[in-house]
Amino acid sequence: MNEAARLSALRKAVDVLTDASPDDRLAARPNWDSLAVLLVVTHFEHDYGVTVTGAQVRACATVRDLLALLPSSQP
Amino acid sequence: MHSALSHFRIAGVAVTTGSVERDFIADGLAAGIDRAQLERVSAAVGLRKRLVAPAGVTALDLCEDAARRLLSALDVDPSSIDAVVFVTQTPDHPQPNDASLLHGRLGLSKAAMAFDLSHGCSGWVYGLHQAALLCAHGGAARVLLCAGDTLSRLTHPADRSVDPIFGDAGSAALVERTGVDAPWHFIFGTDGSAADVIAVPAGGARSPASESTKVVKRDAEGHGRCEENLRMDGAAVMSFTLREVPGAVKAALTAAGWKAPEACAFHQANRFVLSVLAKACGLDPASVPMDLTERFGNLSSASVPAVLAHAYGAALSTASLRLLACGYGVGLSWAAAAGPIGPCVCLPMLPLRR
Repeated sequence: MNEAARLSALRKAVDVLTDASPDDRLAARPNWDSLAVLLVVTHFEHDYGVTVTGAQVRACATVRDLLALLPSSQP
Repeated sequence: MHSALSHFRIAGVAVTTGSVERDFIADGLAAGIDRAQLERVSAAVGLRKRLVAPAGVTALDLCEDAARRLLSALDVDPSSIDAVVFVTQTPDHPQPNDASLLHGRLGLSKAAMAFDLSHGCSGWVYGLHQAALLCAHGGAARVLLCAGDTLSRLTHPADRSVDPIFGDAGSAALVERTGVDAPWHFIFGTDGSAADVIAVPAGGARSPASESTKVVKRDAEGHGRCEENLRMDGAAVMSFTLREVPGAVKAALTAAGWKAPEACAFHQANRFVLSVLAKACGLDPASVPMDLTERFGNLSSASVPAVLAHAYGAALSTASLRLLACGYGVGLSWAAAAGPIGPCVCLPMLPLRR
């Protein structure tokens, strides 16, 4: 799965990222909060089988950083 | 671990909740949180109302009420009960255990055994397994299984990550030996390496309660709690649940030879968790009751019997259903069970009257 497809899936899964671009800064997104972090963690676990921690998600600065948490070999 | 047990049945279930209603939105507004933010979380996670125990009421009190209502409805002579299994993480005392205290309150036979089982949200399935073992292989004809917690007491009001979640309730189920070979299949799992994901760090033997364990500190997200409070890493719990529980559920269904259950009693973490978990388990989300947390709160070890009482009481009064029961939580631990239930008595959930 390429970055565009992963971004599309992320937008569907996380309500505050529905119109997000890869370079968007997460801290500038309205409602980027603990619920949004939970939605990202859930999306990665449920749809990719990839476990990430809340701390890893909170440490991301941009949407691209979030997508980079998924291993590149991930389908 | 897979365990198959037969020759027992669940004769009845009763659940008594706390009597003090808490409202997620109203409590959040009082704490100075923006209404729009509260409504977003309420809608996404499924948090609305919860019922907590008033001051002085414990899990033992709630379970005693449920047990008295159940034994009365079933017209069971308390002296015929051979064992009490009490599942709780919030016992009245370090010693003696709640099971012995309940045994005394109900005036049970001196020939009965009584013990506690320390587990939270997976605990009812663990307790059912113990009760079933006693009936199937342990010489017991009747076992009273009680499961309840008052987790609302363990959270700190300044910890919004857990404080708005929990309700308080106690349950009672009567498990009886039968001559019928109707197997149940239990699947258990544990990941003790992640035990700190859900924990009350202080107040036990390792870190006794002291002045220092009462000091409230803020975490990186601004949530306030002390070492005697319940803490939970919600993201880690979500990952664990999706990683471990679907395999256990599928293994239980496969062992039972079922394509799908007729009744699903999952621990009610919240609607969000359950909606994702149902899909991950390959179940139709519409077939999985997931509305209890927004009505009663997360009821910990009492939530699986609460689903039976709340969602299946009417059906189980006349029918036998293929039940899938599943709990997951502190330990970390998980348990799934597939077996027949009903016809049996599932009393309406009631708040404690006192």
